[in-house]
Amino acid sequence: MQILLNGIFLGAIYANIAVGFSLAWGVMDVINVAHGTMIVVGAFVTFFLFKYCGLDPFLSIPFSMFILFLIGYYTQKYLLNFVVKVGIFLSLILTFGLDLVLINVVLLIFTGDYRSVTTAYSGTNFQLGNIIIPYIRLAILGICVLLTGLLQLFLTKTRTGNAIRATSQNRQAAEIMGIDVAKIYSITLAVSAALAGACGSLISMVQSFTPFEGGYFIMKAFIICILGGLGNVYGAIIGGLVLGVVETVGATIFGTGFQEAISAIIMILVLIFMPKGIMGSKNK
Amino acid sequence: MEGKKQKLLILGIIIGLGFMVLPLFIGGYWIRVLSSIFMYAIITSALNIIAGFAGYAAFGNIVFFGIGSYTTALLMLRVGCPWWAGVIIGAILAAIFAILVGLPLLRLRGHYFAIATLGINRAVEQIVLDWGSFTGGGKGITLPLPNMEIQNFYAMIYFIMFGLLILTILTNFLIARGRLGYALRAIRDNEDAAEASGIFAPTCKVIAWAISAFLTGLTGGVFAYWFSFIEPAMVFDIMIAVKAFVMMMLGGAGTVLGPVLGAFLLELISETVWGQFLWIHMLILGIIVIVVVIFIPRGLLELFRRKISLVALIKNIKYQSV
Repeated sequence: MQILLNGIFLGAIYANIAVGFSLAWGVMDVINVAHGTMIVVGAFVTFFLFKYCGLDPFLSIPFSMFILFLIGYYTQKYLLNFVVKVGIFLSLILTFGLDLVLINVVLLIFTGDYRSVTTAYSGTNFQLGNIIIPYIRLAILGICVLLTGLLQLFLTKTRTGNAIRATSQNRQAAEIMGIDVAKIYSITLAVSAALAGACGSLISMVQSFTPFEGGYFIMKAFIICILGGLGNVYGAIIGGLVLGVVETVGATIFGTGFQEAISAIIMILVLIFMPKGIMGSKNK
Repeated sequence: MEGKKQKLLILGIIIGLGFMVLPLFIGGYWIRVLSSIFMYAIITSALNIIAGFAGYAAFGNIVFFGIGSYTTALLMLRVGCPWWAGVIIGAILAAIFAILVGLPLLRLRGHYFAIATLGINRAVEQIVLDWGSFTGGGKGITLPLPNMEIQNFYAMIYFIMFGLLILTILTNFLIARGRLGYALRAIRDNEDAAEASGIFAPTCKVIAWAISAFLTGLTGGVFAYWFSFIEPAMVFDIMIAVKAFVMMMLGGAGTVLGPVLGAFLLELISETVWGQFLWIHMLILGIIVIVVVIFIPRGLLELFRRKISLVALIKNIKYQSV
């Protein structure tokens, strides 16, 4: 039971890593390799505000979201929009170049040391029967649910959200209907990056990080998107929870060393036998 | 046309001979730099066979490099094979592995294939890491040292790498001119149409990947012998594959000499940048990548061939932007 709960807590973070990534992939067919490093940037924003301004890490989430929103918007507007139409691999390699730039900038500002955000309530928890529940993990679970709920509302209830979904279904038709595709793309990557920022703030509270941690997050995001199916919010959540539980349970049975190998092999099996993911996305 | 081809051939032979006598005049540092440039050129050209001709972005191609180097290392250490036998067996194993994984994975298209190869690379790396009693695990593995003068050894590696590079270029050339090359390019442009016109796509793709894996495996084996120490993080490093991708795009994907040109340029640049700007070399590399992708997505070779002007390049950007 405790193991299962730990898996769910881990899964909530995984789901949060993947939601933004899946959004950019599903709408624009852009694999944003820099997404992992964007998460790291969010974590460093929280670290900076916590250390030098004494701001509570949970309150710093809006700041990191805002900064990443700007980074995402202008990246798409001035770089990615030039290559999106040509082919999937150009945009992939471009975001890889962006990833190198971001890592180097973070490295120059914060150096390569291990950082972590430790608050007064970091280690505290309460017990329910014989299950231990840490406060922070519970709060993170709550915020993850809140953020994905807000994203879903944004995508289905607002005008911009509808435009994003229309563009993802058929770009040309959307263009004919008078949607400014270039602008919608910029907003999509901005929202995706903002989610990465929030995720980074949350992650900074539960694990230590360096500027080079992005590759680890991106690998998880890949696996979750494959597991859950592309481009829908629920797929990312299901994929994240499944991966979190499977990894935690697998680590208890086989030992932690095999955790990564297990998730990679699961991903390949899903790719071969269920290429559309567990949820089986409808429009892709 | 015939005269032009002969001129190119003569130019190629002169450049080749130049590289043959070059070690007499340059110091140890440049011999090692050139060897590593050759190595990248081979990896890039091998990647070109599957990614450039067939359009299948095998981002995890570096797994064959790792398999080649680990096979060589383990055969030399545990069985006592001579190094060349280890290298060849490693390359054959890499090709067999490519066929085995290729059969299911090459059915996937686009992003999915790219990510599946990343997953394969990750899985093999983790298995090597966790199987410490046999492979040395995360501590790495030290090979027996070569029994010769160190200068001679480096010169030997230089010539081996150079020979492998010639072999790779020839393979690329033969594929590009042969039936396989036409089939692969047809698959890249439209797989369904290619199958409809009588190309049996699965076999072509698997053969292409196996050739690519064989060449990459050979290089991996020589690399292990050269460095005489390998660890999983080094030989399964995804950065090598991504760098090879950028080199391929820079020179021109799907051409014979483009990847080699790209490898020489990028590796020389990054070697100078390493020395001059230790703190921002990733920044500079990243900016080069971004500029290459936006301005010359078809590669330098295409640029020379068409004599495209700056105006045409800017027009091209406008055409391809959303």
